[in-house]
Amino acid sequence: MELIYFQLLAAILFCIGIYGVLARRSAVLILMSIELMLNAVNINLIGYAAFSSFGSAHRNLGQVLVIFIITIAAAELALAMAIILRLYRNKNNVNVDELDILKG
Amino acid sequence: MILSAEFAWIIPGLAVIAFCITSLFGKNLPYKGIFLPIAAALLGFIFFCLIFVDFISTGFNPTSVSIDWIVIDNWSITWGFAIDEISILMLGLVTFISLLVQIYSVGYMSGDSRISWYFAVHALFAGAMLALVLADNLLFLYFCWELVGLGSYLLIGFWFEKKAASEAAKKAFITTRLGDVGLLIGIILLFKATGTFHIPSIIHAAQNGAIPESTLMWSSLLLFLGAMGKSAQFPFHVWLPDAMEGPTPVSALIHAATMVVAGVYLIARMLPLLEIVPGFLTLVATVGLFTFLFAGIIALVMTDIKKVLAYSTISHLGLMVLTLGAGGLAAAMFHLVVHGFSKALLFLGAGSVMHGMNGETDCWKMGGLRRNMSVTGVTFLVGCLSLAGIVPLSGFFSKDEMLLSIHEGLGPIFLFITLAGVFLSSLYMIRLFCVIFIGEPRSEGAKNSHESPRVMTYPLVILAVFGTVLGVLALPLPLGDFEGLGNFIDSKHHFHLSPWITPLSLLIALSGLVIGYMCYGYHKISHHLVALRFGYLYKLTVSKFYIDEIYQWIIDKIVLSAARFISIFDRVVVNDTGVDGIGVSVLLSAFKVRLIQTGKLYNYAAAMGIGIFFMAVMWILASN
Amino acid sequence: MSVVFFAIAAILVISGGIGVVAARNIVYAALSLLVAMVGTAGVFLIGLAEFLALVQLLIYGGAVVIVILFSLMLTKIQDFEFLTANKQWPIALIVAIFLLGLLGISILVEGSATTTMGSTNISELGLSLFSDWAIPFELASLVLLIALIGAVVVVRRDNGEDK
Repeated sequence: MELIYFQLLAAILFCIGIYGVLARRSAVLILMSIELMLNAVNINLIGYAAFSSFGSAHRNLGQVLVIFIITIAAAELALAMAIILRLYRNKNNVNVDELDILKG
Repeated sequence: MILSAEFAWIIPGLAVIAFCITSLFGKNLPYKGIFLPIAAALLGFIFFCLIFVDFISTGFNPTSVSIDWIVIDNWSITWGFAIDEISILMLGLVTFISLLVQIYSVGYMSGDSRISWYFAVHALFAGAMLALVLADNLLFLYFCWELVGLGSYLLIGFWFEKKAASEAAKKAFITTRLGDVGLLIGIILLFKATGTFHIPSIIHAAQNGAIPESTLMWSSLLLFLGAMGKSAQFPFHVWLPDAMEGPTPVSALIHAATMVVAGVYLIARMLPLLEIVPGFLTLVATVGLFTFLFAGIIALVMTDIKKVLAYSTISHLGLMVLTLGAGGLAAAMFHLVVHGFSKALLFLGAGSVMHGMNGETDCWKMGGLRRNMSVTGVTFLVGCLSLAGIVPLSGFFSKDEMLLSIHEGLGPIFLFITLAGVFLSSLYMIRLFCVIFIGEPRSEGAKNSHESPRVMTYPLVILAVFGTVLGVLALPLPLGDFEGLGNFIDSKHHFHLSPWITPLSLLIALSGLVIGYMCYGYHKISHHLVALRFGYLYKLTVSKFYIDEIYQWIIDKIVLSAARFISIFDRVVVNDTGVDGIGVSVLLSAFKVRLIQTGKLYNYAAAMGIGIFFMAVMWILASN
Repeated sequence: MSVVFFAIAAILVISGGIGVVAARNIVYAALSLLVAMVGTAGVFLIGLAEFLALVQLLIYGGAVVIVILFSLMLTKIQDFEFLTANKQWPIALIVAIFLLGLLGISILVEGSATTTMGSTNISELGLSLFSDWAIPFELASLVLLIALIGAVVVVRRDNGEDK
């Protein structure tokens, strides 16, 4: 095993996520793509943690960071879902195409 | 207790404090707060006396004190005061005259609704002038110079309800402003050349040849322009006669101690600088001489008592400038003081006459006032004779010294033309006195005129006494190493009498007196016939050589049309194209640019993604 | 041997990711997300982070995907089947490919000093979390709590809105 595998996998997953965020119409799908990107970061962190040459304290660091990211992601997801529900109730739609009240 | 010269700044400081308190709270104070400026002036005079004693006892050491105002690196602009012979002389003159004028004003201005404002501005005016004569650097001097201008504006336009008064105030302000701009540019030029505003340093630099010749010439010219504006030299003299619209004590102050003498003071101060430019003093002298004669001729035909005095002031300022042009610093400063006392006396006397005549200023409606107004009459006569230069009054001594200086500095041609001016001077002075005080009353008002209250006559008496005895100071009195006031001002100067100039000038002045008395007192010579004989010339003179009309024409035709053109330029080019154009172009481009804002979430996200990509590229490039 | 497992997990992750961004049906997309999450958990296992692999399965596989499915049900979105990409998908593709190129090049150029992998046992992680990281941990719990309360507040029906 090499660290580079983890890094490449993380990069690929991250770019897939970016594409999803930029290309999908549905707010729910955009949210899922964001989750993909977060996971890409997590994979990266786990890779670094596993190949860390600084002893167990720093290995812990990477994993602790992943725990926090998962926590924040969960919180973010909960709020985002609430907003999507609210949006749906007000607009009867969750397509970001239709949500252009910021249009100049 | 002797106050040392370092504390001279207290004197203008007191006046400024009095101005602040009286102008802000005057209405709520007892007696409308007028005692504060008077107290400030009195204290100022007492301080002056203490400083003067100290100055003499420490052996005429010029002292200066300064504090840093702006410090940039090792270079600084300072507020500084300097005491030397000239400034201490001016200090005495200004404190004394302004004290007397203020006391006099208590009587003259009583009952005026804005009396506290009057006294407050009076204090400001005097304070600014005091700070001006004490200033040791040109920047500070310029501040005070402008403050003096402001004070004169406020006081000339004190009765601003009268259109003439507000017009006169504007005229005074704008006319002197023309010179002031010159002064400012001159100061900046000198600063650019030397890097300092400090007057002795600038003069030192100029004497060492550290200032380029062309800069020196231009700055001298511009400084002189400023002095001409302030001291009402031809062609800037037009504001001074109009300034008579202000209260008469103000005229006394302007003419005697502040404002107009500021210009003479500036020339005296910068004389070592002006001397360096070849031929410049001749220009100064020529301007002075021309003004001396020109204003003297007009003074001869004016009928308004204050206008005669105003032109007389212009004339005598011309004489001072002429003397300075001849290099006679001591003589000019001596005459400045003597003229200050005499002219203050005359103006206060004129104010007293007007007070007794219920505001009448036309002297042909007066006559025979000596019966009702004996104190005013006698003191007025003293002032007239002093300015005419009759022995043994102070004016005789100063005039004599000036004539000597002119003879030494400029030669006989200037001397003889000046003597013609001396003749004019005594002629219009005696004319004024005769018409007002001698003969029969020519109106009801003159018959019923009354003497002024004592608060007004006492200053007259004091001034008359000083005007009489001041001349003695010119003599080398047996007081230690005192060799006359001239020597005190300028150690190179020594009092002496010329065996032919002194008698000649006295003779000319006396002949002026006699002819004037024949003409206006005895009516042996009819002045009407003289006027008819030279009708065209008379008309020209009475119209003041149409200088005002010429200026009006220039303003109407040239200045205003240029202003109109510029206003159109401003409206069309600057406003519509420049200012509004920028606004319109912003508006139009905003209409286009706002379409970038699609409101679509993924567009924003794409922009972010592209941005991140380029940032990453740049970061990688930078890190390698 | 682990390389083979990693390859399998990576294929799961990538195919699941592509499924998320390419699926026409939103439910398929959600299920693809589940696949990607499970793959990620596998990667974690190979990275010697057993506890996190478990957490990943529980939270993402158990909670997140279920929440998403529930919200799909609640929003009653009719056009499940016709999810298309928006108009700027070519730009999105270009950005993604360029970014991938950039990341890939920089990863490959930099390389890595291969060392042996080290594991962390769960008790060590727990000790570290509750001693060194106690305050951030508590703060994270607070954030989670606030987010949940906020979600409730946002979703709650106001009076008058509920007709």
